[in-house]
Amino acid sequence: MINLRTSVSAFTLAATAAMGVAATGLPAFANDKLVELSKSEANWPMTGKNYSAQNYSTSKQINVDNVKDLKPAWAFSTGVLHGHEGTPLVIGDRMYVHTPFPNITFALDLKEPGKIEWMDKPKQAPTARAVACCDVVNRGLAYWPGDGKTPALILKTQLDGHIVALNAETGELAWKMENSDIKVGSTLTIAPYVIKDSVLVGSSGAELGVRGYVTAYDVKTGAQKWRAYATGPDEELLLAKDFNSANKHYGQFNLGTNKTWEGDAWKIGGGTNWGWYAYDPDTNLFYYGSGNPAPWNETMRPGDNKWTMTIWGRDIDTGEAKFGYQKTPHDEWDYAGVNVMMLSEQKDKEGKLRKLLTHPDRNGIVYTLDREDGTLISADKLDDTVNWVKQVDLKTGIPVRDPEFATRMDHKATEICPSAMGYHNQGHDSYDPEKQLFYMGINHICMDWEPFMLPYRAGQFFVGATLWMYPGPKGDRQNYEGLGQIKAYNAISGKYAWEKMERFAVWGGTLATAGDLVFYGTLDGFLKARNSKTGDLLWKYRLPSGVIGHPMTYTHDGTQYVAIYYGVGGWAGVGLVFDLTDPTAGLGAVGAFKNLQHYTQMGGGVQVFSLNGKNPYDDPNVGEWVGKAN
Amino acid sequence: MSKIAAYGRLFAAAGFAVVALAAPALAYDGTNCKEPGVCWEPKPNYPAKNEIKGSKYDPKHDPKEINKQSASIQAMEERNKKRADNFAKTGKFEYDVSKIGAK
Repeated sequence: MINLRTSVSAFTLAATAAMGVAATGLPAFANDKLVELSKSEANWPMTGKNYSAQNYSTSKQINVDNVKDLKPAWAFSTGVLHGHEGTPLVIGDRMYVHTPFPNITFALDLKEPGKIEWMDKPKQAPTARAVACCDVVNRGLAYWPGDGKTPALILKTQLDGHIVALNAETGELAWKMENSDIKVGSTLTIAPYVIKDSVLVGSSGAELGVRGYVTAYDVKTGAQKWRAYATGPDEELLLAKDFNSANKHYGQFNLGTNKTWEGDAWKIGGGTNWGWYAYDPDTNLFYYGSGNPAPWNETMRPGDNKWTMTIWGRDIDTGEAKFGYQKTPHDEWDYAGVNVMMLSEQKDKEGKLRKLLTHPDRNGIVYTLDREDGTLISADKLDDTVNWVKQVDLKTGIPVRDPEFATRMDHKATEICPSAMGYHNQGHDSYDPEKQLFYMGINHICMDWEPFMLPYRAGQFFVGATLWMYPGPKGDRQNYEGLGQIKAYNAISGKYAWEKMERFAVWGGTLATAGDLVFYGTLDGFLKARNSKTGDLLWKYRLPSGVIGHPMTYTHDGTQYVAIYYGVGGWAGVGLVFDLTDPTAGLGAVGAFKNLQHYTQMGGGVQVFSLNGKNPYDDPNVGEWVGKAN
Repeated sequence: MSKIAAYGRLFAAAGFAVVALAAPALAYDGTNCKEPGVCWEPKPNYPAKNEIKGSKYDPKHDPKEINKQSASIQAMEERNKKRADNFAKTGKFEYDVSKIGAK
C-alpha cells in the first residue's frame, strides 16, 4: 500500500451525517447505507450501480440532444496492460480504479482528477498467470461504507486467490484471506459483493476442473460465515428445506452427486461463479449463476451435472438456496451461466406486478424468472440463429435440444450457435425502468467442436475439446467481422425494440441513462452512444485501446461524467495479448478474433467524458503547486 | 492451451479398452426425464453412466488427484480461521499463520 493522502475525505464525513444513521445512534446494515449511496447520482458504489444491477442512471444532463458535444474530460493510465473488465466505483470525491493482474487498486481524487490518493499494489505469485484460463482479468471492487467502529473498506480479489479488505480512506490493509488455491487451478477474477456486513466471493477455474463455491466473509473481520458449493451433497450445497418447493420439476434434493454425476466426478466438476451478483433486500436473497461443468468433453461426465449452469437464489444470512434453476443440464458447449442478473419490477402478461430477474445466458437464451421463488416466466432466444436448442419448455424449464448440434467423442460437431463464448458473456448490461428495456451487448459467434480424452491432474487444464470459432450467420465469414450485436429487449413481450450489428463482440456490457442514451464500449476501441429508444448511433469516441469493461456515470460538482476502462484483452482478446496465431488456441478465441489486432493494441486506463470536456482543470489554478517564491 | 490440446490428442491416440456400449437410444433431446431434474440419457452407441467405467470413454480418475481440492480447501479454511480469530483477539491482522502460532 502506498499512502499518498492521509486526510479524511470531507465527503465521507458529510455523507455519514447526511444519512442520519450515526446521528440516531441506531444500528444500520451496510446495505442500508449502500442503498442510500446508490440512489445519489454522485455515486456509483457497486459494479451494477445498485443492488438491482441495472447499470442505469437517472442523470440526463447528457442526453440525446447534446451527446454530440461529449468530449474527453480527463484520463488516467493504470500502467497495466491486458484486459480491463468491470467499471470503476465512485463514492463522493473519490474514484476507485482496479486493474487486471497484478490487481493494483487506485484511489483517485475527483477534485483533482487523476491525482492518486493511495494505491495498493499487491505482490503475487506470478504462477497465478499460468492457471488463468482467459487472460488475467479482474471485474472490479466492492465498497463497504463502515459502521462507526470499523472504517469504510474497499474489498478486492487477487488472481492468486485472495480476498482482501483495505481501508477505503488510506489503502491500509485491514485483512486478507485465502479463498482459492492456484496450486489446484483455482483463481479469482470476480468482483466481490457487499451485502449487509458480509462480502461475497466466488471462484474461477472450471477449465482446470475446479469445483465451484461461493463464500460469505464477515466484512469486518474476514471470518468465514458460510460456503456453498455448486456440486456435491445437499449439506455442502446449502439447500434450504423448501428448496425449489415452488418448482419441484426443477429437481430438489440429492441430485448433486451420483444421481447426476458418474462416481466422484462432482468433486472436479466445475460450476465456478466468476460473474455478477444482485440482491433484493425484500426477499433477502442474492442471485448469481454457477458456471460450466468440467471437463468440457461431455462424454467424460455423463449425467445432468447438477448444479452447474444454475441460476441460484440464496439467503444472504445463511447461504441457503431457496431455488435453483439449471438452464443447461449436461452442458456440451461450455455455456457457463455466470452472466449478469438484472432485477426489475414489471407487470407480467396477465398484468400482475412481479419481482423479476432477467439473465442473458451464454447459451443464447435470455431468461426471466420470478425472483421470489424461481418460477420461469420467459426464455427467449437472444438471436434467431441460436440452434443447439429448439425452445425452452416454460412448464418444465427443460431446454429441448436439437441433437444435430450435440457434441460427443469421435465426432466433430459443426456450425453450433452460439460458440463456447456464448451469445452473451461476462458483460454487465443495463435496464431502463422507464422504457422497460434491457440493453444487451451480444456476441455473434458460432463454432465447430471436437472433444478429446485427457486425465484430471490438479492444477492443470482440464478441458478436453478443440474449438474453431467464426462469425455467426449474420456476420462476414470471409473477413471475420460481424462478431457482435447490441440489442434492446422487452422481457414481457419477448420482443426486441431494436438491434444493431457490430464488427466485434460487445464484450463489456452497457450503461443506460434517463437521457435516452445507451453507452457501450467496443473491442476495437470505441465508446459509443445510441438513442436508447431507436438504436440510432449518435456519438462515438476512439479510445487508446479496445474495451471489455462496462461504462458508468457520475455527477461531480454539478457536472455529469461518463467513464469507461480501456484495455483490450479477456477471452476475446487473448490471441492479441499473448501473440497467439493458432486459430484453435485460446480455447478457440484466436481464430474468431484474428482481425482484432488490425484495430487496436494493448493499453490500460480510464477515460472520462463530459459535455464539452468540462472538468476541474478548466480552472488552470486547480492542482497547481504554489511555492513560497510565489 | 495448444500444449494441452496436444497432450489430450496424445492421450486419446493411446487408446482405451472398448467394452460393451449401451443399446442405441433415440437421439438425446433432454426431455425424457427419469425424475425431476434427472433427464440425461446416453447418446446412441455411447455408454450409460454405470457403463462408462472400463469403457473407451472411461476418464480413469485418480482418487489422489481428485481429493487434492478438498484437502487444499480444508487447509485454507483452517489458516483463515487462525487469522480471523487472532484478528478478533488482538485487533491486529496477521497473515502469516506461523507468526500467529508463535504468539
